[in-house]
Parts: sequence; structure tokens; C-alpha cells
Amino acid sequence: MRLNPLTAKKLRRFRSIRRGYFSFLLLCGLSLISLLGELLVNSRAIVVRYEGKWYFPTYGDIIPGTTFGFDYSYETNYRDLRDRFRQEGGDNWLLMPPIAFNPYENTPYEGVFKPAPPSWLGGPAGHLLGTDTTGRDIFARLFYGFRVAIFFALAFTVLTYLVGITIGCLMGFFGGKVDLFGQRLIEIWSNIPFLYTVIIIFSVIPATFTVPVRIFILLVILVLFSWTGMTYYMRTATYREKARDYTAAAIVLGAGTGRIIFNHILPNTISTIVTFIPFTVAAAITSITALDFLGFGLPPPTPSLGELLKQGTQTLTTAPWIVSSAFAALVFILTLVTFVGEAVREAFDPKKFTTYE
Amino acid sequence: MIASPNGSSPTARSSASASTPSTVDAPLLEIRGLKVHFPVKGGIFLRAKASCRAVDGIDLTIHPGETLGLVGESGCGKSTTGKAIVRLVEPTDGEILFQGRNLAEIPRRQLKPVRREIQMIFQDPAESLNSRHTVANILEEPFIIHGIGDAEFRRKKALELLERVGLTAAAADRFPFEFSGGQRQRIGIARAIALEPRLIICDEPVSALDVSIQSQVLNLLLDLQREMGLSYLFIAHDLAVVKHISDRVAVMYLGNIVEIAGADEIYRDPRHPYTRALLSAIPEPDPRRKRKRIVLSGDVPSPINPPPGCPFHTRCPHVQEQCRIQKPALRTTTEGHEVACHFDL
Repeated sequence: MRLNPLTAKKLRRFRSIRRGYFSFLLLCGLSLISLLGELLVNSRAIVVRYEGKWYFPTYGDIIPGTTFGFDYSYETNYRDLRDRFRQEGGDNWLLMPPIAFNPYENTPYEGVFKPAPPSWLGGPAGHLLGTDTTGRDIFARLFYGFRVAIFFALAFTVLTYLVGITIGCLMGFFGGKVDLFGQRLIEIWSNIPFLYTVIIIFSVIPATFTVPVRIFILLVILVLFSWTGMTYYMRTATYREKARDYTAAAIVLGAGTGRIIFNHILPNTISTIVTFIPFTVAAAITSITALDFLGFGLPPPTPSLGELLKQGTQTLTTAPWIVSSAFAALVFILTLVTFVGEAVREAFDPKKFTTYE
Repeated sequence: MIASPNGSSPTARSSASASTPSTVDAPLLEIRGLKVHFPVKGGIFLRAKASCRAVDGIDLTIHPGETLGLVGESGCGKSTTGKAIVRLVEPTDGEILFQGRNLAEIPRRQLKPVRREIQMIFQDPAESLNSRHTVANILEEPFIIHGIGDAEFRRKKALELLERVGLTAAAADRFPFEFSGGQRQRIGIARAIALEPRLIICDEPVSALDVSIQSQVLNLLLDLQREMGLSYLFIAHDLAVVKHISDRVAVMYLGNIVEIAGADEIYRDPRHPYTRALLSAIPEPDPRRKRKRIVLSGDVPSPINPPPGCPFHTRCPHVQEQCRIQKPALRTTTEGHEVACHFDL
């Protein structure tokens, strides 16, 4: 199977737009690194060598302190263990991740007022960007906040497009009454105020729901209120492709509805849809951050950029490192995504490559 | 059948050809009183306010191995007629009898077996070939749709088809837009003959091509007809092309057929005033031969509100009172020559 030369040309063109292409690589790299985040930003050691035995605490159950000779049976504090091993000097050693904090732990320090400033501004050692108002490491919060945001945005994009493309395509393909009533329903649906719905739904969800379930509910609500925009593009694109002779040729050959939609219409409409994807991702990141900022987004204690921004604005004068790092991170991510979007749009510009004369 | 008098034509049709239609043969396709009216919708509930009478009651027959040319100016309903036969548009009324079955009444889902028998070639091959598919995909699709053979068989068939229409096997893995217009139309023809149909609707198959390519494609169509015993409904507005390929020619005007005759006869002895005007518009290559150019006044009336009586009466130079009231039916003047006119002009 040979790649369609037009697609190959578009990809070549995308690669030649260096700003967008490198943003894309950087974003992909960051996302992949964030998947291995537990090895890089974590309070658990990567590997522990103790009394001739190997331990890999990163993934799996907690290892109680008693295992390493502490007098407590809750999870080992590996930073303490590291300090102890150093003092003892023996053969025991452990390797901590570069950032030795997880995003949920509050680390109290004697004589330091929370939030603690970054280590290079006289704060406690290890906190590159300081801590937030409850003493959690800001770098860890940002890192995991990025992971949550980017994968939330990707999941949101996939689901939104799935629903939007399906419904838009059906309206365009069947036309007539399906289209007429579908359009009216969409008009009504898209006028339901989104924010109120989120507030109402979150106020009735029982507190017993776990954090992943709450995140999933938020995702579903966001998708339910966002798919309508895509239907407009798909509807018109489907109308256009349906009227073309290649579709007629397929009908004359006896192709069924499924075959016409999936083999003929969708592949020809998708190329315009692709250009929207980065902008949808950017919009999703923005809206999840905004919701978090307002307090209706990801449930606490999920690390999130919006929640940090909220803290940061409340402590603007006393702890400027919170808002500045959260703001810089958000701007950085959105800029990357937007650069990718620009490059994709440029590379897929249909005016540059027409397949039909 | 009338032999083409066009001596310059590379494949002048022989009256001794095996595909000679005869009145004794049962017709392959018989259209009776076909009407295609498109509703003109309006208002918030899109109710039909009026109807556009694209095809307004026509009768046609096509015999096995015959080519029927269908000519007329744009908007006269000739393409709609072709599309109605393959049910790309729904006939409003009338019968489309194909091998004795009325295609106008068969539910869409049950049409699939008939699809193998009737295929279509489109005007613009750039539009009619999906640019996302390779040529092999395009030519294998008919077999996939009808569940014929395995992947290996389909690939073999696709290569055979390419060879048959004069393309090399190397074309198989390329995409339609990598070919010239004539080559693309050959691919479109290969797809149409893949299932070995009996009838092919050719909807202006050469009008999007360069003149130099047109005759190659026409000759390919004629060769295939001879080899496979195909019948063609050849829709065109280029009268020279129609003359070259057709056995009989039907002239359409405003959704009605105004004249049907053998291809040679209609060019030699047009009887309907519209046909005469149409034929007088063919450019004459010899400047010494002066011909009277019949220029019609006015425009074609709208098919949404066609004139009463004869559809042509608004522009006819010989119009009489009767023409404004009574619509003339097709009547046979001489053997095989039918005219829809009240008078012998």
C-alpha cells in the first residue's frame, strides 16, 4: 500500500515548516516523557539496594517503612532513607528521580512558611519552583498537571470528533428531514448554558465518586456540549462529496450506504477536519484550565494548571512564583499547540493541492 | 442499421456488424412515459411548492448491441434520463423495462443484481474517480461490492481491465490524479466494464476531453462494444461525436423527445424544426459550402413552468395556433423515423 502522493506531499510540507514541526516533536516528546513521569518526578525511589536485595518501588504497592528498618509501617519516605543511607555509608544505596516529590504530598519544613519559595530563592532544597500554599511541589504539580491536561484534551478531541463527525455525516448524507430536524435539535442543544449545567451536575454528583470517575464525567459533559461545532463542517462537506460523481459511480456499482460513507465520503472530508485538531486541543486545554480556575473542573487533589493559577492569583504578592510558573507553563503549552496548528493548516491548505480540477 | 458515411472516421461502422439491431430482437431497455420531476422546495418545512419537469414523459428503446445517441442542449433532461435509468434520481412516473423487469418499481435494496447489468461512464473522470483510492482499488471495488473472487483474483482482474482499456499494469498502484484526462476516462471505462454489463449509460464521456483524445476514447468504446456486445445510451451535446458512434439518435428538448431516427437519416433529413436548428449549428469545415444557419430566438423556457402545447412552440419558426394548444406526440413518418410535430415540414 503506497501512501497517497498528495498526503505524502502534505506531510513533507508539514515537516518543512520547521517551527510547527519542531513544536510537534517537542509536544510529542513531552507527552511521552510525561507518561513515564513516575520515573522522573516522584517521591518514590527508582531503585533501592538494601541488605543485598533489590527494590523497585516506582510502580506497584507501597513498601512499608519497616522493610527498610524504619519504625513505621506506612509508606517509606525515600528522601529520609536516602539521607540515612548517606549517613550510614555502607553498601545500601538508592536512586531518587530528578525531582524527588510527588504532586500530592505536603512536605512540612521546620521554620519555613508555606508556600515555600523555590530552592534557588532560599527555599528548602529540592523544590525547583517552590511549593504551593499546601506545601506541594510546584514542579511536580505542573508536570502532572500537563499530563492530565494534554491527555484530557486528546481524549476530548477524539470523542468530540467521533460524535460530531458521525452526526454531521449522517445529517449530510441522509439530508431531508434528518437534516432539518437534526439542525433544529442542534440549535436548541447548543443554546443550553454550559457552565450552569456543569455546576448543577457537579453539585448533585455524590462525593463518594472516585477522582477518575469525576474526571470522566467532566469529559463527557464537555464533549456533550462541544460536538455541535464539528457537525456544521461535516454536514456541508458530506453534502458536497455526496453530490460528486465518484459517489454516484459507487452507487451505480451497487455500493451500500456504509461503503459509500466509510470508503468514499469520509476519506475525502477528513483532510479538512485534520486542520482543526490542534486548535481543538488548544481550546480543550484552555477550557479545562478555565474550569479549574473557577473550581468546576478537575476534582481536587488532581494536579492542574488552572488550580495553580487560582492559588497564584490569591497569593500574587506573597508567593509570585506560583502564578508565574503556572502562567509560563500554560503559555508554553498553548504556544506549542498553536504552532503545530498553524503548520498543519498551512501544510493541508486545499488551495495548494487540488485533486479535482 | 445505418452505416456511418463519415469516411474519415477510423472505425466506420459496418452495417454487417454482429451487433446490428433489428426490430425482431426484444429490446434490451424499454422506457415508457418516463417522467422525472424535481420538487422545488420552499418554506420552513421544505414543502414542494412547484416541480421542475426535467424529463416529461419520454419513450425510448435500446436493442442489444445498439448505441442510442441522446442529444440536446444543456438542461434539456438528457443526463437526468440517464441517471433515472440507473436510479441516481428517482423516476416520478413511467416504466423502465430492462430485460422485462421494471427498474422504476424495484426497491433500491433489490437493485444490486441489476447494477451488474447496467453501468455508467461519467463526464468528468477527475470527478468520477475517488482521488483517495489507487487505480487498483477503484477497479477492484466492483468485485468487492458484488462479492466476486478473492483478493488475488480481483487484482488479476484489475490488471486485465487496465490492459483492456489500453493502460499498463504499472498504472495499478498509482492514483487517478497522476493520469491525463484521457487516461482517467479509460480507468472510468475499465470500472464500468468490470462486471461485464449489458448496457452502459455514457453521460457525455468525451466532452471533458481534448478533441485529440476524444476519438481515441470513442474508438475504445466502439471496440469494447464489438467485443462484449454492449449497448450504449450515449448522451452528448456534440453532434459530430454522436454521429460517429450512434446507430440511432434521439433529440431532446425541454424534457421531451422531439425526433428519433437512424443516425445517418437524422443528419441527412431532419424533420423537426428544433433538430434542423441544432444541426445547422454544426460548424462547417469547408468555407465554400454555404449553409443556411437557423438561429432560434429567445431562450429555452423554464422546465418549472413549461409552455402548454408543443414545448418548442415559443421558439419555433413555423408555429401555428394548434401548436400552442395541443402537445404533439411522436409519430412515425417513415420506417424508423419518428417526429413530435403536428406538421410535415
